[in-house]
Amino acid sequence: MEKGKAAATPVKNQTPLLEARGISKRFLHVQALDNVDFRVDPGEVVALVGDNGAGKSTLMKTLCGAYHCDAGAIFFDGQPVTIRSPHDAMALGIAVVYQDLALVNHRDVATNVFLGREPMRGPTVDKGRMVRESRQVLEKLKIKIPSVYTLVGLLSGGQRQAVAIARAVQQGGRLVFMDEPTAALGVQEQAKVLRLIEDLKAHGTAVVVVSHNLQHVFHVADRIVVMRGGRNAGERVKAEATAAEIVGLIVGAPSAMPLGAV
Amino acid sequence: MAQPTTTAEEVVREGTPETGPGRQRLRRVFQVREFGILAAAIGLFVALSIARPATFFTEDNILRIAMQISLLTILATGMTFLFIAGEIDLSIGAMYGLLALTVSKMLFDWQWSPWLAMPAAIAAGAGIGFVNGFLTTRFRIPSFIVTLGMLGILRGIALVWIRTPPIGRSPQFDQVTAGRLFGEVPMQIFWMLAVVLVASFVLSRTKFGYHVYATGDNEQAARNAGINTPRVKLLCFVIVGALTGLAASILIGWVHGVSRGYGPGYELDVIAAVVIGGTNLFGGIGSVFGTFLGAAITGMITTGLVLLGAQQDSEPIAKGAVIILAVLLDVTVRRRQGL
Repeated sequence: MEKGKAAATPVKNQTPLLEARGISKRFLHVQALDNVDFRVDPGEVVALVGDNGAGKSTLMKTLCGAYHCDAGAIFFDGQPVTIRSPHDAMALGIAVVYQDLALVNHRDVATNVFLGREPMRGPTVDKGRMVRESRQVLEKLKIKIPSVYTLVGLLSGGQRQAVAIARAVQQGGRLVFMDEPTAALGVQEQAKVLRLIEDLKAHGTAVVVVSHNLQHVFHVADRIVVMRGGRNAGERVKAEATAAEIVGLIVGAPSAMPLGAV
Repeated sequence: MAQPTTTAEEVVREGTPETGPGRQRLRRVFQVREFGILAAAIGLFVALSIARPATFFTEDNILRIAMQISLLTILATGMTFLFIAGEIDLSIGAMYGLLALTVSKMLFDWQWSPWLAMPAAIAAGAGIGFVNGFLTTRFRIPSFIVTLGMLGILRGIALVWIRTPPIGRSPQFDQVTAGRLFGEVPMQIFWMLAVVLVASFVLSRTKFGYHVYATGDNEQAARNAGINTPRVKLLCFVIVGALTGLAASILIGWVHGVSRGYGPGYELDVIAAVVIGGTNLFGGIGSVFGTFLGAAITGMITTGLVLLGAQQDSEPIAKGAVIILAVLLDVTVRRRQGL
C-alpha cells in the first residue's frame, strides 16, 4: 500500500493540503472504512471512485465533518486537526457540494449562496452584501443565471449545481468536495459542471470529486483514488492510468492486484 | 420541473433594469400570495358590510372584530414560525385555555402583582413550548403526535386543577392588557401590532429568521450548511408558547375570566389563520403579514356566520372547510408555478 502511494505521488516534497491517515469507521456490523489513507495536494483535482458501498461517500462525509471517524488522524496544511462538525470543516476551508440535498428551493440564489453563513449588518442580515458578493462569485465562475433574486427551485438542474458550487467557492473553500456533481444532469449541463471544476482548479482550489462516471473522472481528475470494501484499493495518476485498470481496481479483478490492496 | 411560462416570466421580470432588491422582491411576493389574500379579506369585508350594514358595518362591531383578530393574530404568529420551520403545535388551544386559567388564578386567587402575572404566563407558555420542542427534536417524534398528547395533558390539567374558574378584575392589569391607549386604541390592537412588527422583522431580516425558512424548506440542506436545525425548531416551539402566554394574559384582562373548558378547539382557528395566510404547512414558505390577513379573514368568517344567522355550532364546519380550501388553493397555485 505504501509503495503504491509513493509511486502515485508526483511531487514528493509538497505538504499535502489535506491528509488523512488510518481512517476507520464502523456502523454497527459494517466496517465502512478500514484504515484508509487519503491525500489531496493544493490545487489538485482528485477523483474518488468505487462501487456502491465501497466507502467513498463515508470517507467524504468523515472528512467534511458529517461523520466522526472511530480511528485515524487528519492533517490540514500539515497540522493535525479534528473535524467534528460541518462548521469545523468550513472553518478550515473545506466546502462540500452535496448531490441533491444542498439547496433551499423557496429562497433566492443569493440567500442560498450564503446559507448558514449570512453576513450581518447590526442586528439584520446584510442582504445587499449577499447580493453583491453572489453576483461577483457567479461572474468569476462564468455561471449564467438570470438573477440572484431568482428562486432556486425555478432553476434547471445544472444551474442548481452551479449555485451549489458557487456557494462552496464563496465560502473561500480551499478544498471542495463534490458528491456526484454530474449525476442527474443533461449532457450539456454535465459539460458545464466539468468546465466549472476546471475553473476551480485554475483558481487554485483543490477539488475532490466523488463519481461513478469514469469518463468524467478521466476528463477532470489529476489523480484517481479507488475505494473498495472500505479500503483504499489503490490510486493512479491520471496520465499513467487506463480506464480498464481503474475498473479492475474498482471490481477487484486480479489484473489490478499488483498495486491493489489485500 | 421548472415551467417554461413561469421561468420566462421570471426572466422578463429580472431582465428589466434593477429597481432595487426590496421593490423587486416585494412585487413578486405580492403577485404570488399576499396580494390575493388581501383581496379576499377586503372582498369579504365589503360583502359582509353590504349584507349586514346595520350589524356588521358599525364602529362597535368592527372594533370588536379587531380585538378578536388581535388575539388570534398573536397566537397565529407563533404558529407561523413553527409552520415555516416545518412543525406544528396542536396543543396551542389547550395551552391557551390553561394559561388563561392560570393568569386568572394568579391575579384573583393568589393576588399576584399584575406586573408579575403577565411575565409569569409568558414564561409558563415558553416552558410548555420548550417541552413540546424538546420531545420533538430530541427524540425525533413527529410534532403532531407530541403536541396531540400535550393537548390532552393540558386540557386534563385545566379540568382537574381548577374546579371553579376564578373571575375578577385587576384594574392595573386590565389597563395594560386590554385598556385603551390614549383613551382610544384598544390595547389588544397595540399588542398585536407590536407582535406582528417584531415577528415580521425577526422572520424576514434576522439570521434566525433565515434559518427558520431554511430549516423548514430543506432540513438536510440546512444542516449541511451548518445550521443547528433542532435548536431552530425548539426556539419556534418556545415562541409559540410565549406568545400563547401573552395572548392568554390579554384575554383575561379583557374578559376577566374564562370557563375551564375554554381553549381546546381554538387550534382550528389558529391553523385556519396561518394556512389562509399562505403559510405552507410543509415548511419553508410563509409570512407574518399573510397570517395577519388570514386571522382577519378567519375573524370575519366567525362574526359573519353569526350575523348571517348561522347556528353557532356550525362554525367549525365553515372553518374546517376553509382550511381545506385554502390548502387546496395554495397547492394548486404552487404546482402551476413549478415549485
